[in-house]
Amino acid sequence: MLVIGREYITRVRKRTFIISTILFPLLYLGLIFGTGYIAGKTSRKLHVALIDSSGFFNKAVVAQANQQDSSSYLEYVTIHPDTVKKNYLSLGYDAYIIIPPINWEEGAKNLPLKTDKTYGVAPVMQVEGKLNAIWSRIKSEKLGIDENKRQILIQSKITVDARNINDEKSNAKIASGIGYACGFLIYFIMLIYGSQVMMGVMEEKTNRIAEVVISSIRPFQLMLGKIIGIGLVALTQFALWIAFIFLIYNITKASGTASSNISGLVGSVQTVFTSINVPLIIFCFAFYLLGGFFFYSSLYAAIGSAVNEDMREAQSLSFPVTMLVIFSIVLMTSAMADPTGPLAFWASIIPFSSPIVMMARIPFGVPGTVPWWQLGLSMALLVLGFILTTWFAGKIYRTGILMYGKKPTWKEMMKWAFRKS
Amino acid sequence: MNLLEAQHLKKYFATQKAVDDISFSVAQGSIFGLLGPNGAGKTTLLRMITGIFYPDSGEIIFDGKKFDPLKDIERIGYMPEERGLYKKMKIGEQALYLAQLKGLRKAEATRLIKDWFTRLEMESWWNKKVEDLSKGMSQKLQFVTTVLHNPKLIILDEPFSGLDPVNSNLIRDEIFNLAKNGTTVIFSTHRMEQVEEICNHIVLVNKGKKILDGTVKEVKQNFKENLFRISFDAMPLNTNNDAFTIVKQNEDYSLVVKINEGYSPNDILRYFLQSNVNIFSFNEILPSLNEIFIHLVEGTPATRQFQNVTA
Repeated sequence: MLVIGREYITRVRKRTFIISTILFPLLYLGLIFGTGYIAGKTSRKLHVALIDSSGFFNKAVVAQANQQDSSSYLEYVTIHPDTVKKNYLSLGYDAYIIIPPINWEEGAKNLPLKTDKTYGVAPVMQVEGKLNAIWSRIKSEKLGIDENKRQILIQSKITVDARNINDEKSNAKIASGIGYACGFLIYFIMLIYGSQVMMGVMEEKTNRIAEVVISSIRPFQLMLGKIIGIGLVALTQFALWIAFIFLIYNITKASGTASSNISGLVGSVQTVFTSINVPLIIFCFAFYLLGGFFFYSSLYAAIGSAVNEDMREAQSLSFPVTMLVIFSIVLMTSAMADPTGPLAFWASIIPFSSPIVMMARIPFGVPGTVPWWQLGLSMALLVLGFILTTWFAGKIYRTGILMYGKKPTWKEMMKWAFRKS
Repeated sequence: MNLLEAQHLKKYFATQKAVDDISFSVAQGSIFGLLGPNGAGKTTLLRMITGIFYPDSGEIIFDGKKFDPLKDIERIGYMPEERGLYKKMKIGEQALYLAQLKGLRKAEATRLIKDWFTRLEMESWWNKKVEDLSKGMSQKLQFVTTVLHNPKLIILDEPFSGLDPVNSNLIRDEIFNLAKNGTTVIFSTHRMEQVEEICNHIVLVNKGKKILDGTVKEVKQNFKENLFRISFDAMPLNTNNDAFTIVKQNEDYSLVVKINEGYSPNDILRYFLQSNVNIFSFNEILPSLNEIFIHLVEGTPATRQFQNVTA
């Protein structure tokens, strides 16, 4: 118990913990909005001269299209094509395009947009999209379709939304969003805090304090104390984040009515909350977070106890374990595509991938997508799994923590694990 | 009464017979020296006594009962040779933490730590971090954390390495003090001069086996070569006698002589009293533990060879 307390308090008190607790959500938001903002800022607006030799285009249509869509600017020019070819840069255009005489029923393929630079796909697509918008307007006129009919043609559509009849509330899109988020968070936590456990054990070993402590308590107690302590730190960090989110959500709700933008956001958050079972998800999240953490961090602890100061040794030994975690994420992405399929089922039952995969499936709905028995089985197996890995790791730990000198191989570690006490 | 008895302890590792059938006993309140060259098996032996390792065979009797690591470690204080502390922790908290691990209550531990810190002039350290300490300072702290919970048995593995003479004496006095108050101290070292100063009883191990066991005085008596040093105001003219043979003749008018079989020191004195020189001093030369140690260990390979063990 004391070990847990020490591990917990020294870590929570560290400045890095406070900073990462505050900074991580900020960075995360910054990443999402920042990249969106930068992408919006840097996308190029092409200024294109449009030379029409087909006779379908005119200044009015082009101008109307420019008004509706400002992502690029087309200009209908009537000057002689050769002067444009020679002087398009000095006339202020980035590029020019010549519409050849075309059959309006067939359209034109691969029209060259001539420039002196190579542009990315996006700006060229925007020009193409705009030309097509203009073109469809021209076609409509030719076919005698007026503006009303055209609107009907464009806007009247059928959309499909999957409903699980067992679980009216489930919503595949929101569910997959939350599923991804949960899966990735667990993934990060397991890797970050797992390696913290490893580093902590290595610290104890290289500082040679392990022997002092082990003369007071059993090695297994020391290892378990460390794992539980760090697990609690992870949980604290998450509790703080969840508290943050609720706080921000409530503040924006309170002040949100002023701006329609924010209240729209609040509304969408509300639909998210009502479409999923929040308490169940939070409970499962905590469960799988801790379960997965115990499962993997005990393996990391065993590795930490086996190596010496050398970080590279630790990395090469922990690589197989890290691979398992990464593999779970790969499984998760496939499982998300078909959350009731056999892959999703097996991956969420077997302990090494279940924390990530099952957590990704749960938002799809319990018991709609994940029957209760599956959830129960998965949890039971995870508990069994981590008891097994902890026991196994404890055996390696006991021998490893007092071994100095050469780096053991996996084979030797297996021998330690199965040797009788 | 013996506080600790080790009976036929064995511990084999994959490539080493680390401890190969060693027995010894440690009397209550005594200071016991466990000696041996590097890699002789001292640390393994100590780890078995502290319950870190289980012996492959043999028994440890602690305080009259079979040693039970789970219960008895609270009454043992162990300072390993490879010592360490949490670098980032404050010193006071660290001492408190280690004391609580030994089963002390927080208030009790705080009081004891304050006591010891005052005694060893460490009061100002409480809020410092371990990484700020020099090697000798952290050694002192380590010693405090080892003896803090008033253990019946204190095991110190190389307690003086890294300490300057002043702090060395400070720790030595504390060890004497503890022994006087009934605590039993086992310590291992390969520095013989300290052993001569401190220990009542010694055991010498080499290559996993016990090769010497006894009090310091006994050991010296057993290994003495019947050498005496005599010094005079001038060198006697005739130094031939049946009672002794001269081993060495020094420039400062002194002789080292070996008594021959069947004679006593008085025979030598009597002989020189008759010669017309004044005798300034006459004393027996006992071998130092260092010499005994080297004598016993020499000839065996300095470092242990790896060997295959079929146990």
